[in-house]
Amino acid sequence: MKPLNVLVIDNEDAICRACHLVLTEKGHQVDYSKTGESGLRAMARDSYHLVLLDMKLPDMDGMDILRDLKKRMPGLKVIVMTGYATLSNAVQAMKLGATDYLCKPFTDDELTDAVEKACSTL
Amino acid sequence: MTSSASFESYFHVIRDIISAMHALTNLEDVFDVVVTKSTEALNAKGTLLRVLNKETNRFEVRAAAGLGERYLSKGTVSTEKILATLSEPGKVYIITDIWNAPRVEYPQQTWDEGIRMLLDVPLAVEDHVTGLLRIYLSEQRDLSADELDFIQTIAMQCACVIDRVGLMERQQSRFYRLASQVEKGSSLGRMAAGIAHEINNPLAGILLYSSNLSKKVPKGSPLEEGLNIIIKETQRCKTIIQGLLDFAREQEPERFPVNVNDIVSSALGIVENEFHLRHVRIHKELSQDMMETLLDRNQIEQVVINLLLNALHAVEDKGRVIVRSGINETEQKIYIEISDNGCGIPPENMDKIFDPFFSTKANGTGLGLAVSCGIVRKHKGDIRVTSKPNQGACFIVEFPIISDAPEDEERR
Repeated sequence: MKPLNVLVIDNEDAICRACHLVLTEKGHQVDYSKTGESGLRAMARDSYHLVLLDMKLPDMDGMDILRDLKKRMPGLKVIVMTGYATLSNAVQAMKLGATDYLCKPFTDDELTDAVEKACSTL
Repeated sequence: MTSSASFESYFHVIRDIISAMHALTNLEDVFDVVVTKSTEALNAKGTLLRVLNKETNRFEVRAAAGLGERYLSKGTVSTEKILATLSEPGKVYIITDIWNAPRVEYPQQTWDEGIRMLLDVPLAVEDHVTGLLRIYLSEQRDLSADELDFIQTIAMQCACVIDRVGLMERQQSRFYRLASQVEKGSSLGRMAAGIAHEINNPLAGILLYSSNLSKKVPKGSPLEEGLNIIIKETQRCKTIIQGLLDFAREQEPERFPVNVNDIVSSALGIVENEFHLRHVRIHKELSQDMMETLLDRNQIEQVVINLLLNALHAVEDKGRVIVRSGINETEQKIYIEISDNGCGIPPENMDKIFDPFFSTKANGTGLGLAVSCGIVRKHKGDIRVTSKPNQGACFIVEFPIISDAPEDEERR
């Protein structure tokens, strides 16, 4: 598949770097932001195909970021990541336009599969 | 004593006993009043009160008045001995032949104490003997009708107190057990989401790096083995945390009228194969006239499956598990009972089995019973267990019979 521009928004350094490692090895271009605010700034500055978005950030609610991003960029693919998986917040994320949903912890294969599936139509 | 004086004295004794009963601060206080006042009123030498300890099946001395230490040290009496000789509750047995009466176990000591006559009064509620009042007199004499009446009244009141206190104690321990479960449940509920988030995040880093690295090390190397173990164990943590979330989630049951037998049958269908593989037989004794009640089919099925799998794990190969259902008409409840003839639950674990994360299985998450208990409680039901080590366990799940849909209730 063609190389993608991916932004990871997660306050956990290890997760950001791990996602960066796994996806760059697959040939993608990966940036990461550790707050909601810096993530939104990065989105305004550069263009991304895909955002990996944590639901619980120190400064903002993941659902709010998702709502905001999908309003401004309806074609953007967003994969939501969460450490607290419930059916109701998965449904809510999907309703707001998330492409997929990853429950932490996940393996490298689960990550790349989700990314490739989300962007297969691009 | 003149007749009016004795009447007054009996009246005072009964009044004292009843007021002690109603205060119910302490069972021993009531017993003390019973023995001292009985001794006084009958002008006796002493009185002994024994109460049946249901666990040991022995009558234990709970209160005594007027008797020497040497005599009291004789201790307990087994119920077989008492019941073989005392069959009629409410009757006063008068013993005058100290040396030959079968009921007198230590004639020499009794005689040495200066006792010449004994009155034995079984304490019973609805024909169940729960205690024994023995009054010792230092001379043989005829008892008036009033005196006999008095003794019988005391015995009756005393038996009621024992019965009532027993009931209260049982209720109290049930209440504390439920209260502690409710408390554990709600604090866990608040913590679960936080724990899940805090643990799953670091696990995400571990799992991403380890799964990524495992592809980069030589196949079959110790490094690969180690990384695979890290991957597997991390995923195990994920399962445990998911279980905790499922347990803590405040998921309200979606209740519809359902026949609990259908739920049991469908749960049996799911676990049937596992039982078959282990050669464990299941006896099904489902009530033919089961009534429908409002239940969340999926949740109750989960409870039944949990209990069946626990029973399966408790029995050896070729064990047996019995599943019963029925209606408790007086309490307007339906019940499911799952019993096995397996290893049973040690007494020290009885308080812990419903606690989250308590498990005696090698790979158990310790959440099966905790989740089941939460579900049953949300249905305003009850889950109880009785067990003796090596004699199996019996779990009873009860639900109130509710026929109206909740919406209907609100509309009214």
